Amino acid sequence: MNKALRKPVTYILFLLPTLFLFTLFFIYPVINATYYSFTSWNGISNVVKFTGLANYSRAMNDPNFWIAVKNNGLFILFSVFIQVPIIILFSLLIANVKKLKGLYKTAVFAPSVMSTAVIGILWGFIYEPDIGLMNNFLGLFGIDKIYWLSDRSWAMISILITNGWQWTGFYIVMVLAAIISIPKELDEAAMIDGATGWQRARKITVPLIMPIISVVIMLSVAGAMKAADIVLVMTKGGPSGATDVMATYMLKHSIKSFKYGFGNSIAVLIFIFTLIITVLYQLLVAKRTERIEY
Amino acid sequence: MKKSLVMLLSLLFIASTVLAACSSKQETTSPQAGNDKPAEEKVEPFEMKMRHIEIGDSNKNRFGRLEAVVKNTEAENPGLTIKLDGVESEVNRKDKLRSEMAAGNPPDIFDAFGSPDVGVFAKEGLVLDLTPILEEMGLKDKFVSLTPWTHDGKIYGLPKGGSIEGYFYNKKYFAEKGLELPKTLAEMEQIAEKIKADGKVPIAQASKDAWVPLMTTNNLWAYYAGAEFTNGFKTGESKWDDPRMVEAVTKHQDWVKKGYFKKGELGLEYNNQRNQLLTDEAIMMYDGSWAYSALTDEKTAGADTKDKFGFFLMPPLKEGEGTSSMVDTNNGYAFSAKAAEDPRKLAAIKSFIKNFFNEDVQLQSFKEDGMLPSMKIEDSKMKEVAEHPLMQEILARMNEVKYTWPAFDALVQAEVNTELGTGIQQVIEGVKEPKAMLEAMQKVQEQVNEETDAAQ
Repeated sequence: MNKALRKPVTYILFLLPTLFLFTLFFIYPVINATYYSFTSWNGISNVVKFTGLANYSRAMNDPNFWIAVKNNGLFILFSVFIQVPIIILFSLLIANVKKLKGLYKTAVFAPSVMSTAVIGILWGFIYEPDIGLMNNFLGLFGIDKIYWLSDRSWAMISILITNGWQWTGFYIVMVLAAIISIPKELDEAAMIDGATGWQRARKITVPLIMPIISVVIMLSVAGAMKAADIVLVMTKGGPSGATDVMATYMLKHSIKSFKYGFGNSIAVLIFIFTLIITVLYQLLVAKRTERIEY
Repeated sequence: MKKSLVMLLSLLFIASTVLAACSSKQETTSPQAGNDKPAEEKVEPFEMKMRHIEIGDSNKNRFGRLEAVVKNTEAENPGLTIKLDGVESEVNRKDKLRSEMAAGNPPDIFDAFGSPDVGVFAKEGLVLDLTPILEEMGLKDKFVSLTPWTHDGKIYGLPKGGSIEGYFYNKKYFAEKGLELPKTLAEMEQIAEKIKADGKVPIAQASKDAWVPLMTTNNLWAYYAGAEFTNGFKTGESKWDDPRMVEAVTKHQDWVKKGYFKKGELGLEYNNQRNQLLTDEAIMMYDGSWAYSALTDEKTAGADTKDKFGFFLMPPLKEGEGTSSMVDTNNGYAFSAKAAEDPRKLAAIKSFIKNFFNEDVQLQSFKEDGMLPSMKIEDSKMKEVAEHPLMQEILARMNEVKYTWPAFDALVQAEVNTELGTGIQQVIEGVKEPKAMLEAMQKVQEQVNEETDAAQ
């Protein structure tokens, strides 16, 4: 048996179905999108005209595209510097709760099982300028009415808060699982040595859950790069394109304007940008936190 | 032995996967035992998919009529089941249908816009040419206008109805405050000032979807630049940065700056502007005649709808110049060319056309929803049906209108429409001046025209 499994042919045979599916659903679409990104195809016609790098040059020279890129960047920054610390904080708090831990876990997880359309409508009510919860609450402190979704200085942050609210619970549950898997002896030993809760969290728990935090950051970054649904549901990219992200910009131009060639070039750019960020993150940060030995 | 077993199992696994993937569906039409009916009575069931946009409470009458037509069509075509698929209009037009066309797989019957959409689809042979069918059915000359649906001399779809755009206004409020209908744009601005001073929103406008404010802008530029001006963008005869266009868009921006619309309109969905009018928050609303049903439905508008709302057209710049309004027949139904390859589906399509495009349905649409007929119908019959005072007013204004023109989105390329959508929102938001926006539009138009010429 062992000898047979050592034969590469056996492995190749087992890998073939997966390779076939991977090629069909990933490799082929990527090659296809790359091919069409060099054309002026309208998405319907049989005539496909090669236009070289014209689509890429058009995207690079369009200020609206760079607004979309900037908004994807904001998604990433919000995830890494605001969402992740909140995730760690809440995970630590819930992990140390003695009673009703299950209830807290369910409560924070609930938004991530709701559909984005429902969340968009729900938060649409919260952000409603006249009767929304947010303005009513701020009104108690004498703060003027804020037009959350129609004022460009507030629209993006409104979307980021909603998106954060939707996904924080999902990541908290992941981090909680990591915290719970840390051997209790480590914590107990530190407690006997007189370490405070804050010291134990900072010096023991957080370093030991770094691999999972690294995964959470990776997933957040990937999620931020492909964000589209929450933007479409809440602002449709408005006001006047101020909250467009690359994916909504792509949809606007490829389908709405019959410019599939151009849309494909944006898809390829999203792929390249995501690849660069992921590789950089892996090389600079994730590699150092890959292995933890107790 | 063990080695061969592993190899054998591996091969078996691969082979079963491949064979499973290659297997085809078994025929299930084997004759049933004991079935003693004559063979010719057996009817093979078949299904057709129909995309419509009659969703939500405000479209319940339209959906009711469509359901009745579908039922009749099914009854006339044994074995036929029409599967209805309701999608919001803007999503259907700009996202779903275009994706389906790109995949070469549109629904058998679908709601569409004649120009430019159906023209683009028809060029690729995706839409059924209705010319011989209409000739056969004697319907070719029965429509008011098939221009948006005619491409290269062939007719590719039929309009559900016609529409006119203008201002719905709160009649009671006007009477209470002693306001008279404006005869010029300047008079309209005076009225708006008075309404604003009274603490109300003068004009309801919800601009999250750019086509909503663009209805107003389009009417303004039809006055400033002329009713025919929009026809020239595609050919290069008209320029977006023409000083008259700048004046028109500046007027729209002035109205925003003066506070004639609700603050934060860029975050409001289309339905919100009707709510503003229905709740007396706003006093006027620029919209198409299709808004009639929502404003006269007792559930949404209250029991006393008879005298509450009136309708007037955007007034001209100078008194006596004559009114100008969008009147078009660009929305309707088209049919998949692929569906017509099946003779039974083709027969069902003909049935559907017969049941939907007739005088009864047109008059019913007019009566229930204020949808102006797309077919030629005698005035006397329409007057008989127009019982509601609001409908009578719409009809009267329609007869008065001096200049009519199709909406701009039927006359410019899709890409120009997308850019204009962003542009008008930037103007409303105040982040771009009208002149700069229109100069940018002109560049886009020139680029698109060049690309179109090159493609041809």
